[in-house]
Order: sequence, then structure tokens, then C-alpha cells
Amino acid sequence: MKRLIKFHKAFLPATLVSVALLAFSVLGLFVKGFNLGVDFQAGINQYVRLAYPTGTVTYSGPGTPRLEINDDTAAVVFTGTESSDRTASWDLATVGTLADLAAAMKAEGVDVSLSDGAGYSAELLLPTFQGDYILSAQPTMIHRMPRGADERLGSVEEIRQALTGLGNVTVQAVGAEGSGEFIVRVRDDGTDKNFSAKVPEQITLALDGVFGAGRTVAVKTDYVGPRFSQSLAQNVVWLTLLTLGGILLYAGIRFKFQFATGAVLAVVHDGLIMAGFMIWTGMEFGTTSIAAILTILGYSINDTIVIFDRIREDHKLSPTDSMTTIIDRSISETLGRTVITTVTTLLAVLALFLFTTGSIKDFALALIVGIISGTYSTIFIASGFVAWWDKMRVSRHAKLNAGTEVQAH
Amino acid sequence: MNKTKRLLIVLLVLAVAFGFLFPSIEWYYLTPKEDQTLALGSRETIRDQATRLARVELAALNEYVSAKPDDVLPGTFAALVDRAKVAYKDLGMKRPDAWTADAVLAAYDGDADVLKELEDIQRQEIMKTKNLHGNAVQLGLDLSGGMSVVIRADLDALAEKLGHSLSLSEREEAMERAMDVLNGRIDKFGLTEPVIRRQGEDHIYIEIPGAADPDRINSIIMGRGRLAFHIVDIDATNLLLQYLASNPAGINADLTLADPSVLPEGLVVRRLYKKDAYGLDEWTGDYVVITEAPGLDGNYIESADSSSDQITGQPQVIFTLTAEGGELFYQLTSANIGKPMAVVLDDKVRSVATIRDAIQTNGSISGFSYDEAENLKVILRSAALPVELVVESQQSIGASLGDDTIRQGANAMIIALAAVFIFMLIYYKGAGINAMVAQVLNLYLMLSILSAFNLTLTLPTIAGFVLTLGMAVDANVIIFERVKEELALGKGRRAAVEAGFAKAFWAVMDGNITTIIAALFLAQLGTGPIQGFAVSLAIGNMSSLFTSLFVSRLIFDYGTDLGKKETMSISWRIK
Repeated sequence: MKRLIKFHKAFLPATLVSVALLAFSVLGLFVKGFNLGVDFQAGINQYVRLAYPTGTVTYSGPGTPRLEINDDTAAVVFTGTESSDRTASWDLATVGTLADLAAAMKAEGVDVSLSDGAGYSAELLLPTFQGDYILSAQPTMIHRMPRGADERLGSVEEIRQALTGLGNVTVQAVGAEGSGEFIVRVRDDGTDKNFSAKVPEQITLALDGVFGAGRTVAVKTDYVGPRFSQSLAQNVVWLTLLTLGGILLYAGIRFKFQFATGAVLAVVHDGLIMAGFMIWTGMEFGTTSIAAILTILGYSINDTIVIFDRIREDHKLSPTDSMTTIIDRSISETLGRTVITTVTTLLAVLALFLFTTGSIKDFALALIVGIISGTYSTIFIASGFVAWWDKMRVSRHAKLNAGTEVQAH
Repeated sequence: MNKTKRLLIVLLVLAVAFGFLFPSIEWYYLTPKEDQTLALGSRETIRDQATRLARVELAALNEYVSAKPDDVLPGTFAALVDRAKVAYKDLGMKRPDAWTADAVLAAYDGDADVLKELEDIQRQEIMKTKNLHGNAVQLGLDLSGGMSVVIRADLDALAEKLGHSLSLSEREEAMERAMDVLNGRIDKFGLTEPVIRRQGEDHIYIEIPGAADPDRINSIIMGRGRLAFHIVDIDATNLLLQYLASNPAGINADLTLADPSVLPEGLVVRRLYKKDAYGLDEWTGDYVVITEAPGLDGNYIESADSSSDQITGQPQVIFTLTAEGGELFYQLTSANIGKPMAVVLDDKVRSVATIRDAIQTNGSISGFSYDEAENLKVILRSAALPVELVVESQQSIGASLGDDTIRQGANAMIIALAAVFIFMLIYYKGAGINAMVAQVLNLYLMLSILSAFNLTLTLPTIAGFVLTLGMAVDANVIIFERVKEELALGKGRRAAVEAGFAKAFWAVMDGNITTIIAALFLAQLGTGPIQGFAVSLAIGNMSSLFTSLFVSRLIFDYGTDLGKKETMSISWRIK
């Protein structure tokens, strides 16, 4: 037989700790507020990269070739030619300098005229962020990254300065130090209908004016309009309520009502803790954050149900034992499983956290917090509530019994 | 159920899963890049390419006819020879002894007929690759790069312009027009096939994979579509056809000619379009030469409707012009009676009709099917009742950024799998291998379900899979812990496995069903990233039920019976 741990003794202190944490979360909501992402706050997120124009590419043969550059290869896909279609590709690490690459491309019928950095390694070539370039007699500009510290372009402060004319602007540096990658966020107050079309252009224009013509490369654009963000926020509220309702219903059918309530309480607890974490760390709150919270709803409920299942079974096996004893026993019996599942899930999420960037990394971090909170709330909040409910029921029952005794006399 | 039956079920599931997965493998690993590019092109590019190649082949074939008429055709014409064989059979002709160029050509009525056949062969070939892509796992925009835009049709502004609130049918029509304008313009980008979907009452969702240039979006939604009437030059159109017959590749993608002197000044070549079964513009393969300057601008159209001709019962489109437009139109039509006139929207010829008599403010066009009449009505009305389009949300992601993302996702997945594997092996010893077989199968099933339902793979989907890997082990853990308890009670291997699985069953089911409930609600939030994540979570949960309750059990049972094992390697404490 496994060792019995008296979990019920920790129920009260745990509740106090949780209440304190929840109060702290709610306090954050009023004091600091969510750092709302572009999903919930109308505006544009423009990812730009400052780089040096290195030359132009032209093609005057038949067909419509496409130039595709990514981190380690450059490729030209020839289609629409009378002869057979083909793909020519070069490994940027082994092809040599940019001049060597230009010579190799020339051999395939693609003209590259370099204006800068011909002797630099081809690995400095900037990927084709805006989709593949369609080559024609019209010159297409290609860029290269800064080579060293002395070539570094721009800082957060300089960019903010350059963009002050655009209204409510925030600038954030991303990527490796000195890579020249920035996120520019401009809020849309809904007064200009052509906001989404105009702003990216204005950003490029303003930055080119400060850092030199052709040096601003747009990498990614996210825009959410005022109406869209509003309807999304409404959806989220409904969705969360419906999810909780669905869980309450299923758990209510499969278990007793107090179990279902306990499970939902635990889940709400986890959601609030995660929200508090996001508020206090200033993590961007967007659709991925909602996904993280809802995932933990699912995870935590799963955890809770497994313990409840055991409590129900143990109760059937020894109906005379008190609820606290049964809860202690059930949690002890399933403790191994609770810990192992938490560890395996944490391992997976940790891999996600370590190997991704951007919003998915934040997502993974939020999940880590949620998983820990979920495991804790399963044991102390959900089971604690069931134990408390039972105690209330017993004492009420005792009072009622006392009453009938008086009457019998 | 006995073990062999269960094994057969598992093998069957795996085989079906492989069937679903195979198109993805073929597309992503076995199809050359240039074929992918071509197949991903719009229908128009495909048609264009097929025509081009067919013309070249026809020229080569004709060369054979004159140079070596008695030689058997080489393998490059194998597809045509096969078609010719069928044609011989259909025509009841006697099969020749050798398939020479002459023999093959005898199956067809002249060059135009052969050209059509060659074009069809080329098109089938490209469409085959395109269908393959349709059956493969689709990459989301965050992985493939590209743009997605949600556009709102500003119906309030339209109501204001008309001076009354819009009725339901007016709203529907306005949306139809907006969709039509977008459909027509987006195709012009030609490189990849776009997705255009109506979303809710007044939203339109557009996705263009591959391209991420936000400037293009503006050119798509700005303006209202340029509609105009142009006079068709029949003589020049015939000249063009003669020229193309002798110079098959003489026309460029932008519809200029390699030899501009073929056509007189002031004329341009345009393509004639019809709606295909999906309501998309499809080039009919015909060219029309029209005057470069419009005969009448579409702005003069006041209203348009479709009806049936009172005498012939033929469908027709009736339109009314403003007084000023009527004056201009009268001059134009009276000078060109008997000539065809083209209705041109955004440089695409949508309809050609012969001018019967001079028209002032009220005109009618007839001589087509009901569907075509409906389409033309919509086009004419779009000039009369413009709907303004507003960008609601927009996302553009470069393709190379997508490559990075795929690498990140794959790394996270492999590391997660490895970490969980090592942990399970250390903690559960032999049974850890069982759990991992279940997990690897789980991953395989998840991917094949994704492929089977044509769902889109995005980074959030991959994140969902990674998380599922961690969580799905839970089912194994619950079962293993139960089996361990039973072993601790002194039961033998067979009894412990049986009792452990039976007792764990409902705990596993309850836990998974509640998670699936949460995931399904999550999937309802609609927008891309969350939906992808939720769907993968739900899929993962369902397939993990199968692998943990069914496959794991089977592995244990085989170990018990075939391995003649009495003990279990499941814990360091229990021997």
C-alpha cells in the first residue's frame, strides 16, 4: 500500500495563498492592464529590417522565372518557357562571394549587377521576405545584411524619432543583436479608412529618409481594423463562458454537482493566474494568449477528472470512510500519475519554449505557468472544494438531525 | 476479440493512414520545384502554359511530317500516340502498322484539332499535379509565406449613396458584385491560386500564398473595376489568328505581340472570359482584338437587369444609360452597326455582341445562356452601383520566414519526442518503449488525419502536436500506474494488465472527453491560429485514445503470450 499523505491539512493554507495570488492578478488588471496585442487593439504591426541594397537583378529571356532567397540557398525557378521548366539553385555557404554568385547566375541567363559589397560572402544576402521576386527586364533590387558592428543600422530610439509624425507609435527590436530587425506598431483610431494601405508606405518612406534610400525592407505586416478587434473580444468572452459551461455540464453528468463546481473553480483559478502572469510580465495579449488559457482549461480539467474518478471509486470501495480520508487516499494514489504527466507535458512545452521565437515562445511560457498552476489547483483547489462541501453537508445534516430529535421528544 | 483480429485492425488503420499521407509525401518530396510552381499557378497560367507547350509540340510534329514522314514517332509524343489510338478506335479506322507522324495526324481534322488535343494532354498533366497538391497537407501562410486579408464591403456607405436602407436582396447582390470584382482582379496576379471566401454577412476573406507584397492588396481592392464598351475589329482578329498559327509562341504574357507590326495602330489584344463552374473567371482560349480607346465608359450605366425576350423567349440583359451617355452611345452604335461590341471589365472581355441597330439610352444584349445573362447583368450593375471595400485585417509573411518557422516547429517536435521518450524509458523501463511506440503511432495518425481532412498545417498546429505529445502520454501513464498497483497487489502479468486497463478506462475517457470539449469550443473561435491549434489538440486526443487503449494493450498482450513473459518491466520497484 502506498504511503498516505494528509493533503487535507494543506487545503486551508493553499486557499489563502491562491486568494492572495488571485487578488494580485486582479490588482494588476486595474493597475497595469493587459498589454493588448494587435488582435485586440486596432492597428498595424510592421516588421521591418534595415539592410543595404546590394544590386539589381534583371532577366530578358523567355518565360517568367522567380527568384527565391532563403537563409541558406538562392534559387531561380524557370517556368513558362518554351523549353522544359527547370530550377537552378545555389548554396549560399559554398558559392563564395556575392560576385561569385552573380557570375553563377549569369551563366543561367539571369543578370545581376552589383553596386555594393561584391567581395562580401554570399551568406549576407537578405532572404526574399516579400515573397519570391518575379524577374523581368524591370530591375529587381536585392539586399544584404550589415557585415559587422560598424555597418549596423538604426536603433529603437532613432526609429521612434523618425516615426513620431505617425501618431501613437511603439518600436521594439527583435532578432539577434545588430541584425536590424524591428517591429513598429502604429495604432489605428479608425478615422482614416485607408490606414492599412498608407501606413506601411509612410513607415518605409520615413525610415528611408533617415537611414538612406532603399534600406528599409518590410518583412511582415499584420493589420487589424477597429471593427474586427471589437468582434474578436466579444467572441472570446462568449467562447470562454461556453467552454466552462460545456465542462460543467459534462462533469455534472458524470460526477456529482459539487465535483463539477470544484473542477470549474480550479480551472477559473488557473485562467486567472495565467492572466495575472501575462499582465505582470507585460506579455503581449492576443489570440495566442487566449489559446494558451483555453488549453490550460482543457489540461487542468483532465488532471482534475482523473483524481475525481479515483475519489468516486474509492468512495464506492469504502463508503464508511470520511470524505477527507478518501480524498487524501485518492490523491496519494494518483500522485505518481499527476507528477509524471506534469513532467512529460512540461518537457514537451519546454522544447517548444526553447526552439521557437515570437508569439509561440510566449505561448509556451504561458503554458508552463498554466501547467504548474493546473497541477496545483487540481490537488488543492478542486479537491479542497469537494472536501469543504462535504464538511458543510455533514454539519448541516447533523443540525437537521438534532432538530428532528428535539421534535421527537 | 482475439489478438490476431486486433492486430489486423491496427494494421488496417495504419494502412489507411498511409493512404491519406501518401499524396503529401509525393507532393513535398517527390515533385520537382518547377512542376510545383506551375501546378500552384492560377487556372489562367496553367491554361496559358498548356497552350504554349502545345503550340511548340505542334511545330515539332509538323517538322516530323515534312522531314521524316515514314519514321515512327519518338517517345516524346507517346501521350499523343495513345490519344490517337483511341481516336482511331472511336472513328472505326483500321490501325496503321507503324505510328508515324502521318498516321497520328490522320486521326485529326487539321492542325487546330491536333493543337486542341495536345493542349488537353498538357493541361491534364499539370492538373494531375495540382490535384496532388489538393490532397496533400496544406501549409498555412505562416509556413508557406503569403498574404491574407479580410475585406469588408461598406454597405452603409452604399445605402447612404442610394438614399435608402438596403433590402436583404440588395445586400446580397452588393456582396455578389464585390466578390466578382475581387475575383476578377486577383486572378491577374497569376502566380498562385488565391482563396476568396465570403465570411459572415459583409466580410470577404482573401488568401494569396507565396506572395507577401502588401502593395498588391491595395491594387486589388482600390478602385471599382473599369468597365467599358469597346468596338471589336474582326479583320484584325483574323490577322492575329493567322499570325498565331504560324508563330505559336508569338504572344507574350502581357498580351503584346512579339511582332507588333501585325496589328494596325490603336488596337489591342484581349482575352475572352467565361465563368467556370465555380464562378471563377476562366479564359475561353479565344483572343479578341478591340480598339484601345473605349467606345463608351461604364460610368454612364444607370441600371441593368436580365429578362427574357418577349418574342423569342431568349435570355437578355437590358441596360439603361444616363442621358449624356445615351448621346455618346448613339453616335458610337450608329457608326458601327453590324460590328461586334465587347463588354470589357478590368482588361478582360466578358461578352461580345453584334450591334443590330443604333442604341440611345435603352439597350439590350442577347444571344447567350441564362447563366451568362446573369453574369453580365452583375458586371453591368457593378459599374452602376459601386461597393466600397475596406481592409479589416491583413497579414503578410515572407516565404523565407516560413522556412524558418518550419525548422523551429520540427526541432521542437523532435526534441519533445526525444525528451519524453528518455523520461518514459527511465521511469517505466520496458513499458516506456510501449508508450513511445504508441506516441510515434499517435503522431503518424495525427498527420494522416490532417492530410485526410485537407486541414492546414500552421505553427500553432505544430505547437498543438507538441503539446499533445506531452499530454497524450498521460493516458499511458494512467494505465501504467494502474497496472503497477495491480502488480503490487500480487497479481500476475496477464491479470494485472487486464485489471489495470479496465480500471483506467473511464479515467482516460473522462479526461480526454473534457479536453476534447475544450478543444472543440476553441476551434469555434474561427480565426486561423487558434483554430489550427484546437483542431490538432482534438485530433491528438482522439488518436491517443486509440493508441493508448488499443495499441498499447495489444503490445502487452503479445508480450504476455508470444514472449511467454510472466513478469513485467514497468518499474524499478516491482520485479
